[in-house]
Amino acid sequence: MVSPDGNLLKGEPFPDDAYIPSREASAYNPLHTFELPKGSDKHYKQQFADMYFLRLSQLKEAVRQRAEQEWGDFKLGKEKAVKVDRVLDVRQGELCWVIGTVYMEMALKPNILDDISKEHWIFAPPTRDTYISSEGQTEMMLEDESGRLRITGGHLEGNYVTGCVLAALGTEQADGSFEVIATQHADLPRQPQRWERDDSSLAATKKTKPKRGRSGKMAVVSGLDITGTQDDDINLDLLVEYLTGEVGADTTQKQTSAITRLVIAGDSLAHASPIPSREEFAAKNRGKKHYGYDASAYNSSPPERLDEFLSEILPSLPITLLPGPSDPANVALPQQPLHPAMFPKSRQYAKPPVESNESLEGLDSVTNPWEGDIEGWRVLGTGGQTISDLLKYIDNVNILDVMEMMLRWRCIAPTAPDTLWCYPFQDDDPLIVKDCPHIYFAGNQPKVETRVISGVADQEVLLVAVPRFSTSKTLVLIDMETRQVDTVDLTIVTPRK
Amino acid sequence: MADKYKEYLATRIFTENQVVTYRLLSRAVGVNVNTAKCMLFEFYDKQNAKKPNAVHATFILVGQKKSFEHTNGSNGSGHRKDEDIRMRSSPPLSSMPEPDAEPEEEIRPTKSIVLVREEELEDTKAKFDKIESQHIYSLQPGPIENLNLLSACNHEIATSYSTDDPLERWKKYGSIHNPFIKKRTAKHAPVATSIAAKATTTAVKSDVLGLGRNTSKDTPVRKGTSEGNTSGRSTPQPAAAASTTKKTGAKPALQKQSSDIFKSFAKAKPKAKEPAPAPVEDEPMQGMSEDEGEDEEKIEIDHEKEAAARKVRAEREEALRKMMEESEDDEMPDAPIEEPEAMETQPEEPVDETPAGTEAAVTTEGGRRRGRRRVLKKKKVKDDDGYLVTKEEAVWESFSEDEPAPKKPKPAPKPSTAKGKNVKVGKGGQGSIASFFKKA
Repeated sequence: MVSPDGNLLKGEPFPDDAYIPSREASAYNPLHTFELPKGSDKHYKQQFADMYFLRLSQLKEAVRQRAEQEWGDFKLGKEKAVKVDRVLDVRQGELCWVIGTVYMEMALKPNILDDISKEHWIFAPPTRDTYISSEGQTEMMLEDESGRLRITGGHLEGNYVTGCVLAALGTEQADGSFEVIATQHADLPRQPQRWERDDSSLAATKKTKPKRGRSGKMAVVSGLDITGTQDDDINLDLLVEYLTGEVGADTTQKQTSAITRLVIAGDSLAHASPIPSREEFAAKNRGKKHYGYDASAYNSSPPERLDEFLSEILPSLPITLLPGPSDPANVALPQQPLHPAMFPKSRQYAKPPVESNESLEGLDSVTNPWEGDIEGWRVLGTGGQTISDLLKYIDNVNILDVMEMMLRWRCIAPTAPDTLWCYPFQDDDPLIVKDCPHIYFAGNQPKVETRVISGVADQEVLLVAVPRFSTSKTLVLIDMETRQVDTVDLTIVTPRK
Repeated sequence: MADKYKEYLATRIFTENQVVTYRLLSRAVGVNVNTAKCMLFEFYDKQNAKKPNAVHATFILVGQKKSFEHTNGSNGSGHRKDEDIRMRSSPPLSSMPEPDAEPEEEIRPTKSIVLVREEELEDTKAKFDKIESQHIYSLQPGPIENLNLLSACNHEIATSYSTDDPLERWKKYGSIHNPFIKKRTAKHAPVATSIAAKATTTAVKSDVLGLGRNTSKDTPVRKGTSEGNTSGRSTPQPAAAASTTKKTGAKPALQKQSSDIFKSFAKAKPKAKEPAPAPVEDEPMQGMSEDEGEDEEKIEIDHEKEAAARKVRAEREEALRKMMEESEDDEMPDAPIEEPEAMETQPEEPVDETPAGTEAAVTTEGGRRRGRRRVLKKKKVKDDDGYLVTKEEAVWESFSEDEPAPKKPKPAPKPSTAKGKNVKVGKGGQGSIASFFKKA
């Protein structure tokens, strides 16, 4: 049952120091799509409405093409469907299709105007598990620069959320609502070839393509939720020991050496968000009042533990670190990289920020969402808050469905800026998917799930939902050659009494 | 080294009653982790052969679990049932152009790493389909109740053995080598040292035996640099601290001197004392007033100084004393707490009369002095022949100057130059304030 070279339950003579094969280099070429301008170039005066118009104008053409292809010669009875340019130009009783942005009015959806009028704008509004109220006061609108059109229709329910751009085919009813019989969306954008970016940059510098061997694996973990207490330490230790190849015997260690990069997809620290939740805020205020800086309120042990964790792995394995909703980064999407000052030990493996904003080997602290090329594949990853927010709009939907739809809508955070905090983009919205990724992962999900989806132009995308490590104790490994996913479970058997 | 590990384990487990993991052993004895695992087994085997249950162990099992055991075998990952991964409680988001070919259900290969006590070892083994590797994780004198305690060992490694060059660890301990990782030399080494400091304390605290053996000669270079770094960094601080203390120390001294002489005066306004005498003959003080940007005053000081330099010592002393008294008289009612700078200028004014101008009818109200004074002004006139002629004319002009709102008694301004010199002067006149004035 136990393979002979995997059994280290043996005494003298001790084995010779056999070295595990060294790791291969991780072909890593990050993009800086989601980096915000620094310092005074970052403005918050812009109107969020511009984001919607931007989104609409950028996606309109793609949606129009899809709709024309589908409905070009669509006839209902003898009536031919015509395209109407603006939602306000829709005439009653006329079969037509129109393109706009969805807006959903929901009973429990947080509303900024409510918050201001109640002057409760002290801390974050209560987080809700869902925006759907049992009374079903959900209304859906289609909006463009001219105005809004109320849309109804059986199959709209649960398929679209605020912020999606779609084309709707239908007729306006007597009550002024637009009865939708079919919809179209932009669908997957063009997918780059593997190694496309690397090759083109090589071609630009007139270098020959390097001979590329078999790629290794990428490990993805999320939701470490480090609290600095001892409760979760042994699991983190095992994770470190596994990744550095110390745990297990030869067979295990050799397999581990195939891992060439670790990606941490958000929520490395448990309670480190700069904006306390309602509960945390209440708990904090329960005690007696302090004025000024209260040194006892800051607990430095979680970041120290994280730093230690990273610095233990880094000598052996490069890390890409995404922030998540509970990390000490900015709250609004896109979250900017965790500051290296937090990691006095680990940052020695990163390039100093003055030199370069990327560390190809070592610790690369990146944005959330993040995209880049790993082993030639375009990888897009998030800390998961875009998905959990979207799930509040729709009941009973699988996470992978959500991830898939985001790519098909070409918008990885459609609910921003409505219910998800977001930087007010003005000229370009990076949250719109311009290149179809090969691998799209989302951190902090309840369990491991994977699916491969394909598009009309032979796009193939691997979707990976990465579970929280703190609850699932699971690490996801993606084979960067075959794009197969396997997992590693850590288990601590609880002692019987 | 053959028996070193036995000695270490015996001390650690039997004498100190502590836990040893394979990692800690490998660090303590300086061997490959896989060797350390075997050492642990050797020790475990021998000791328990001598006396049953002398040593307890925890084990690591790596392999594939039987798939149906997923739920009850693992704690915490119970919800990872493979069968409900593809379950959909709702129809997929519709209106997709062509519904995807439903990807076939595939069972993901899952590797399980299980940490288990010897008590539960056999049960756990039974849950495995295939065990890829197994080894001892730790040894401890008795059955361990909370496996989280094992992390204390790794913590000890992090604190006690942090002097290792992390990039060289693979050679010694057999972790996976990555030739591409580079570590930059720390410019700011506070962490390294704090850890080192911690390390030494914990080392002393926890176990003296194991540590002394191998940490010392590990990487002297790195240690050296980190130390060098800190010293480089930390020296300025103490120096700065020292200088500040010196400064503050000097001031009271000065005050004390002056209070010796002008007892009553000192009582009246102890604060204003030591800056007041200083400016009169002290070059550096000019710099100070310059800093304040009171241009007019500065010129006056210049003149005053020239004049003063020519005077006989006795005369000056008297004059000064007079000035002090004067200033005291003048200022006390109006601005009891006055800024030293204002004090400086005050005494000089009478002396200035000759060169600069005359002051008349100075009134002070609400912390603001107003008045008229005569000054020499340069005037450019075009004469009959068309030449520009510069004339000097004495003109009366009214002036008012803000007396800065009473700041804190010691504003401690622009510390380095002015203060430093001040201190120096103070030192020169250490004996008595009289000799202080005699200088220059």
